Amino acid sequence: MSEGSGGLIALGLVFAPLSLLSFGGGNAVIADIAQQSIAVHHWTSEREFADLFALSRATPGPGSMLATLIGWKVAGLSGALAATVAFYLPSALLVFAAARVWGRWRGSPWHTAIERGLAPIAAGLFLSGGIVVLRASPSGWPVWAAALVTTAALLCWPRLHPVPLLLAGAALFGIVAVV
Amino acid sequence: MPQPNRPQPAGRADGADAPMRPPQTIGVARIFAAFMWLGGTSFGGGTAGYLYREMVVKRRWIDEPTFLADLALGQAIPGSIGIKLTVQTGQRLHGAAGAIVALVGLLSLPFVIVLTIGALYAGFGEHRIVHAMLDGVAAAVIGLTFATGLHSMTQSRPGPVGLMLAAATVLGVGVMRWPMLPVIAVLAPLGVALAFVEPRLR
Repeated sequence: MSEGSGGLIALGLVFAPLSLLSFGGGNAVIADIAQQSIAVHHWTSEREFADLFALSRATPGPGSMLATLIGWKVAGLSGALAATVAFYLPSALLVFAAARVWGRWRGSPWHTAIERGLAPIAAGLFLSGGIVVLRASPSGWPVWAAALVTTAALLCWPRLHPVPLLLAGAALFGIVAVV
Repeated sequence: MPQPNRPQPAGRADGADAPMRPPQTIGVARIFAAFMWLGGTSFGGGTAGYLYREMVVKRRWIDEPTFLADLALGQAIPGSIGIKLTVQTGQRLHGAAGAIVALVGLLSLPFVIVLTIGALYAGFGEHRIVHAMLDGVAAAVIGLTFATGLHSMTQSRPGPVGLMLAAATVLGVGVMRWPMLPVIAVLAPLGVALAFVEPRLR
């Protein structure tokens, strides 16, 4: 499984730039991760990539634990660590620096205008992300219906813990697939 | 997991205009534990929605306008939204140390879990039902994302201009599937300019 330090460097060279290209979140670069893993570096077959992608969605945590799984596939535990750090650290450092600069201007009129002006766009991007994923889903309207029911439930009871809803979704779709 | 044990304000009358609460020092151990719990329970990748629910609604460690401001600033920076909000929230709670423990805490459990599942998965043969169940999980996660977007929007009292900006964003990025960067490049300056002019016209 191990390719030594060459594999680790290759992981870093793939995932660190992708970290800085993933505008709109980790899902924005999944196509690029697939291209690099399958065609360029032959880290996974297409089938393996699809499996790793599905697994990364079934795991708690931020969207692309996919990088961790591919790193593990390439070079074991050290590969998993290298890919995780390469994929998350650059954007974390960037947002840390940006927040420090940003905080100094708190209270000025244009600072307030920027925050108020961007907030509805941020909310719109949240909704858009959900819509795009739903449209990409191969399962069609049942996924839409389940998503809207979950939305309504969470709007009525904001303190409801999501995990029971996820388990209910998994159970419902699993049972329908069996029947 | 520990519930917030200090007395909480019953509610804020107006999210946007509420005075900032005095900064409270929350220790790095509590921040680490809270984000470890968040990472370990945020199934399906909707970490930002879970973070909102855990840090704004339940624990009230940060307030609604602060969360929205961080979310908006984070949109301008590449990377996972959950990761960026974690760094920003950790930083607000306890500076650089807070940001580091929040990020390491968030990733620790998913890292262990994903590798454990990956190792187990090597033995699985039947995929159809597993994939159907993953679709069910994804639907619920998207519901959480929608609820977060809608709830945040009503809480920030956007006004007609804000509602139109949000609708334009959904239309461009979600419905038309235009690339996000040019859409934001048009709408963001417009939104900021309108927010700057609007209070001065009243």
